[in-house]
Amino acid sequence: MIRLGLRLSLKGGKEAAVRLAVTSAAVAIGVCLLLTAFSGMHAFSAQNTRAAWLNSGNFGPQRRPPATANPNPSSTQTLWWLLDTDSFADQTIFEAAVAATGPNSPVPPGIPRLPGPGQYYASPALTRLIQSTPAAELANRFPGQQIGTIAQAGLPSPTSLIIVVGYDAQDLAKMPGADQIGAFNTDPNVPGPATGVHNDRLKIILAVGVVALLLPMLVFIATATRLAAARREQRFAAMRLVGATPRQITVISTVEACLAALFGALLGIGLFYGTHPALTHIDFTGQRFAAGDLAPGLAAIVVVALGVPVAAAISARIAMRRTQTSPLGVLRRVTPPSPRAYRLAPLVLGLAELVYFVAFGHPSTTGGQILAYCSGAVLIIVGLLIAGPWITMVGARAVAGHARRPSTLLAGRRLADNPRAAFRTISGLIIALFVASATVGVLTTILSYRGTVKTDSSARQTLIADISHPDLIGINGQAPAQTSAATNDAVPPALLGELTAIPGVHGASVVYTEPGSNPDSSLGLVACSQLARTPAIGTCPAGAQVAEVSGLDPFSSGQQPSLSGHLWPPATMTTDQLAELSPRAIVVQTNGSTVSLEQARTTLELAFPGQTASTLSEISANAQRTITEMQQIAKIVIVASLVIAGCSLAVSVVAGITERKRPFSLLRLAGTPLRVLRRMVLLEAAVPLVVIAVLSTALGLLAAALFLHAQLDYTLKSPGAGYYILVAAAITTSLAIIATTVPLIHRIAGPDIARNE
Amino acid sequence: MNQHPIEAASHPGEALVEARDIYVSFGATPALRGASVTVASGEIVAIMGPSGSGKSTLLHCLAGILVPDRGEVMFAGKPIHGLGENERSTLRRERFGFVFQFGQLVPELTAEENVALPLLLGGTRRAAALEQARQWFDELGLTGLGGRRSGELSGGEAQRVALARGLVTRPDVVFADEPTGSLDSLNGERVMNLLVGVARQHGTTVVVVTHAPRVAAYADREVVVRDGKVTSAPMEAVLT
Repeated sequence: MIRLGLRLSLKGGKEAAVRLAVTSAAVAIGVCLLLTAFSGMHAFSAQNTRAAWLNSGNFGPQRRPPATANPNPSSTQTLWWLLDTDSFADQTIFEAAVAATGPNSPVPPGIPRLPGPGQYYASPALTRLIQSTPAAELANRFPGQQIGTIAQAGLPSPTSLIIVVGYDAQDLAKMPGADQIGAFNTDPNVPGPATGVHNDRLKIILAVGVVALLLPMLVFIATATRLAAARREQRFAAMRLVGATPRQITVISTVEACLAALFGALLGIGLFYGTHPALTHIDFTGQRFAAGDLAPGLAAIVVVALGVPVAAAISARIAMRRTQTSPLGVLRRVTPPSPRAYRLAPLVLGLAELVYFVAFGHPSTTGGQILAYCSGAVLIIVGLLIAGPWITMVGARAVAGHARRPSTLLAGRRLADNPRAAFRTISGLIIALFVASATVGVLTTILSYRGTVKTDSSARQTLIADISHPDLIGINGQAPAQTSAATNDAVPPALLGELTAIPGVHGASVVYTEPGSNPDSSLGLVACSQLARTPAIGTCPAGAQVAEVSGLDPFSSGQQPSLSGHLWPPATMTTDQLAELSPRAIVVQTNGSTVSLEQARTTLELAFPGQTASTLSEISANAQRTITEMQQIAKIVIVASLVIAGCSLAVSVVAGITERKRPFSLLRLAGTPLRVLRRMVLLEAAVPLVVIAVLSTALGLLAAALFLHAQLDYTLKSPGAGYYILVAAAITTSLAIIATTVPLIHRIAGPDIARNE
Repeated sequence: MNQHPIEAASHPGEALVEARDIYVSFGATPALRGASVTVASGEIVAIMGPSGSGKSTLLHCLAGILVPDRGEVMFAGKPIHGLGENERSTLRRERFGFVFQFGQLVPELTAEENVALPLLLGGTRRAAALEQARQWFDELGLTGLGGRRSGELSGGEAQRVALARGLVTRPDVVFADEPTGSLDSLNGERVMNLLVGVARQHGTTVVVVTHAPRVAAYADREVVVRDGKVTSAPMEAVLT
């Protein structure tokens, strides 16, 4: 029987070959996407693992004060460590300051030994950048001597900009935030500045992404396997008539399914490795993957290569058990029973689950949350699939009831007669739209609550440097007093002169700490004469000498709306009194050119070693990095699922028309004009498509609203016009796909077909 | 090969196929209401009747395709209505042959593979099965058509391939349901001549359902089905 099954699949003529090819192609796309998801998971994990060492010790605005520990501890196993971030043309540079306390101090991965004071290792990308950029814009920030490049083991991405700078232990120990570490962190789950998408969040994103991709994919595979189902049933009936047992039919059907799945799996693995090099160039999270990162692993390949055919075999056996082919096969057509209203139950249950979390709070653990929201989302998606035929039937009956044209009546009655088949055609698109609506709803709302990345010109032209806690030494281990005139107490006029002398720099403002204010407060004072040269951070009221500003520090300015044109209140203080206060930040406004920005940044960082100067857009981009990375992944998932849904739709519409060759030709025989049939096919697809698409979009947004309310206590913000245009485009494209299949009716439904069939 | 469900041999003149007071309904629609018929070994019987009278349903019950709701179906003196799906499949494959209106050929297989199919399903090796199949091609005027698929055959050729498939296992009974229904009169006659000729030559019993008196004329005997019952009245009387 196995041989006969192989014979039927492989040498069964053109139709069998087309069926095998389409099914294999569907499985191949699914396998390719599955392997991409696996390899993506592996790649994010590999990237985070290689970035883990950068998350050693402590980091960030909540740095500890300078260490009080003995700078020369007796232990020879520790390392003084301080990580800082810098920027160049919107790219983040990680600066790791290291100082050995003995010969056995830990060495970061990717370098052979620790650099000595005044020496550094740089990543290949940073080395290239330093070499290709004028020294005043970048290299001057690293005045030591480069003694090598960092190997891949220490680089999260081939494009990572990382520098490991050697210091004297005594000097580094005095720097605020410096930490003594016994070993480098290797745990990718430890959060830090160098981590891409955090592992826990990654699990949630990938879990949702895999569900979002796999369900349309399964629908596509199911659609493809149903291709020419009537002909297949006819063949099995003929075999049963001449004595094939149900078991023999099951074996043949299983062999066919396995063969298509095996070809599909192998093709999918080939497709994956074919597209694999291109994937490394796609910017998934802002950091490109290394070539080896996107390897799904041998185990995943073996599981897919064996698992997909086995799953196909099991599914074929179950399908054959459910639909025993009689020897009379399709000779007796029975109208399937109408779907009942109880099909709405899983959908209602899924929504009820999300409502429950709104009312009674969400689970406290990440695992619990994944389980809760994934099960809710899956229930709604499965619920949509189950309820779809019932909704289609109700819509179709309404259409048929009000029909004035024969095509509307025919379409309505046909849809009402077999709404399952009609809904199956569009189910892939429905899932894609639901997932897209829910994801976009969630991300739009989060971005709206947390502020958007500033991309206006003033945000990209304005540098801000925090100088409230200047580190005491420069990169070459020398005290700042010897390298520049900047101190903690005053900003020398020479520095401001130096900054404003840079071509393209419009002006510089010094923000002073307001007397008596909390050190963590974002309140500050600025001289109006300086503010007039830096309008990107607001303006003074007429006649005032000093203005009271707020939010002009790197940690809060990223959250603020644009300050350009903002009128600050006057402060009761003179410029002389202002000069007595402690400076906390310097703001430099440039014309936005890389030359002016990077020269100003380099000047500031040389004057205040250990401090970084960032543009307002860089600060806000960093604050929103995770969300934008998630949005990037969501876009990829949405586009991929819409593509799959489109494939699914095209295959099922063609299959639907081909299988109705005889009824169409009989209608033609009876004098039905071709335009009536065309309109009928369009209506049959368009009615459920539009009804269910609107419903699934609304349900997606409702699910997003419930999730946001339960998890983050946010109120859903409507996605922008772009999203609705995307939905309209998806529906229009689907209708266009259906329209392209309409000419097929003319070819296959000639009146002569009825006689030959 | 499966254990043969009916081992009893039959002799010419003895009852080979028999339906005893059988009832069949499709949902609320009754198709047979106490139909009884006996077909002797080697006999050629035509079942006639108007459309919807239940004649095809009667043939399907006699052939073990349908199981009656009530009543008995006997083959070679043994009841077959109680047999399981697998046993009835084996019976159809080894003791019965079929020729239906549209041939019911497997479109993916070539003509000779279609003829060899019952043998292949029974476990005969491919080469031997194809060899046996080819023997029928010359006998039924199909020489040179063995490599064609059903879509490449004319209606008459496809029906003769179906006839070859029905005869390849040298069955005890050939069940034919409107075997000439989709053919022109010339091809119809050719098919019937071949069917009856081979049946007479091998002593095969033939049960043929038809509404065409020209086809019924080939039979030794006619039975008429009307309103789900077998009547003894001639067809003309039923129709008037």
